[in-house]
Amino acid sequence: MLSLYLLQIVNGLGLGMIYFLIAVGLTIIFGLLNFVNFAHGAFFLLGSYLCYTAVSLTGNFWLALLVAPLLVAALAWVVERVLIQRIYHLPHTFQILVTLGIALIIQEASVIIWGPVGKSVAVPAALRGVVVIGNFVYPHYRIFLIAFSALIALALWLLLERTRFGALVRAGSESTETVSLLGTNIFRLFSVTFALGVGLAGMAGVLFAPLRGAQPFVGPEILGVAFVVVVIGGMGSFGGALVGGLLVGVVQSVMTTLWPQGASLMIYGAMAAVILIRPYGLFGRA
Amino acid sequence: MAEQLSQTQPLPFAKTQSRGMLYLVIAVLVGLPLVLPSATLACEILIFAMAALACNLLLGYTGLLSFGQGIFFGAGAYCAALAMIHLQLGLFSALLCAAGAGGLLALVVGALAIRRTGIYFVMLTLAFSQMAYFVAYTLSGWTGGDNGLLDVPRPEISLAGHTLVSLADSRHFYAFVAVLFLLIFMAARRVIASPFGSTLMAIRENETRAAAIGYDTRHFKILVFVLSGAVTGIAGALYAMLLHFVPLSNIDLQMSENILIMTIVGGTGSLFGSLLGAGSIVLLGDFLSDLWPRWLMLLGVILILVVVFMRGGLWGGLAALGKRLGHRDKAVAAAKEEVL
Repeated sequence: MLSLYLLQIVNGLGLGMIYFLIAVGLTIIFGLLNFVNFAHGAFFLLGSYLCYTAVSLTGNFWLALLVAPLLVAALAWVVERVLIQRIYHLPHTFQILVTLGIALIIQEASVIIWGPVGKSVAVPAALRGVVVIGNFVYPHYRIFLIAFSALIALALWLLLERTRFGALVRAGSESTETVSLLGTNIFRLFSVTFALGVGLAGMAGVLFAPLRGAQPFVGPEILGVAFVVVVIGGMGSFGGALVGGLLVGVVQSVMTTLWPQGASLMIYGAMAAVILIRPYGLFGRA
Repeated sequence: MAEQLSQTQPLPFAKTQSRGMLYLVIAVLVGLPLVLPSATLACEILIFAMAALACNLLLGYTGLLSFGQGIFFGAGAYCAALAMIHLQLGLFSALLCAAGAGGLLALVVGALAIRRTGIYFVMLTLAFSQMAYFVAYTLSGWTGGDNGLLDVPRPEISLAGHTLVSLADSRHFYAFVAVLFLLIFMAARRVIASPFGSTLMAIRENETRAAAIGYDTRHFKILVFVLSGAVTGIAGALYAMLLHFVPLSNIDLQMSENILIMTIVGGTGSLFGSLLGAGSIVLLGDFLSDLWPRWLMLLGVILILVVVFMRGGLWGGLAALGKRLGHRDKAVAAAKEEVL
């Protein structure tokens, strides 16, 4: 019994790292651009489906892991240039409605292209085995998932904390006007950041595909979870997204053995409680 | 003194304008079943117009974007249906139940959600909406869970045990829904034209300033939530009676989104716009769902276009068109209506 919980907790860490990747993109976009992206779940969905297509065309998951997030990011870049740049100045309400429209379009387009029934993606051949430690069995793919996401998290942290680009993003989050007045093309920075954040959601979609397959109507659910993570961790906080993601992942994973329906009730309840009691999240700044 | 005051105010003019709007609504209510192929479709339009109108009170007049409308719609549907099935309640008591349930839940959701503003307010309504869905899903003994609540009756209008009108014929039911819609529409206009309504608009324009003048904006926001929840609950109950069935999708996030989209596409800040929005989207859905099952995609495009280019929605667009065609008095009326 105890080992079952242990297994669920380790499983939850893998799921939590995926949630982190989704949420960190959302939080970076909110932090710098002060923009609420309700299409984030839809871009995740697109990542999953592009992974399916790439794997079924080439049989190579690694290629999918490289190409699909780039494609999603490229699409996000175009959408930002064409549409989203026009609505930065509008209140959050309008941003929510426009991105809700984008989410609907992406979701329905995915159904048109890939059909209304979900597609499954095989776990790459190199990661099909399991690790056996005593009576504890754990699939290789989940270990890879945790390690790879941790690597991405580290790379992202280095990007944000140690590079000129990261410095600009952080400075822009403090004061967009100042950064702009100091001679940075703030709109180009916005485009790149938006593409980066959405690309991370696409990458999460690719990593998720071998676990649960690509499902056409998973977008709103993923978006909901991403918002829960971001709110619990604190809007715009990198560390908050990591801890929040792992927390939600583990809670969801453990609850599936105890009371499956209760998992969603609990995480949304937690989100409401955090907003009411600590509106800046567990790690956000007041 | 009072007479002098009323003479200096352009009241008579405003009155004829509002009369015109009322006649327009009555014309639409009478015309709908004549033009449409089925009375059921006309009923559906009015029911969603009711829900959109309630949403409009929050979004258009108070500036509150609520993803919680589905909670009140679903709660109204479930409560009315359960009251009719288990307590054998009649038509009006069931509707009263639905209004009570919608209003009470709106009181709770509103009182909690308005403690925060902006994006956090929206997130709270979203969280409550998701929680309500999972509660309905979990209580499958009452709600039927995924299968929905079946065999919902459509009671007749009766007085002291005597059946006055049976509503089994969908044309009769339409007439009942239409009268109810008209009453709610008129009540909503009264509310908006009252000092209470002006205060709501003051909150929408600048909440800090409204609070600084001395209004307790929280009370106003909670009250408008309750009004909106009660009307949405009635709409939910009518929908259950129309379908004889309460699907789980009545309380999900998609329902909240649909009601919001109808409100926005029709035009926020105009009550007639809600009727226009609900009508066009229900009709579009009915017309396209057979031809093109992915018509929601079109809805996404329309939503974006309305928000980016035509903030006034369909009603605002029509008003602008009227202006361009040179019907100046009509445009003035429209502008007046938008202000109201």
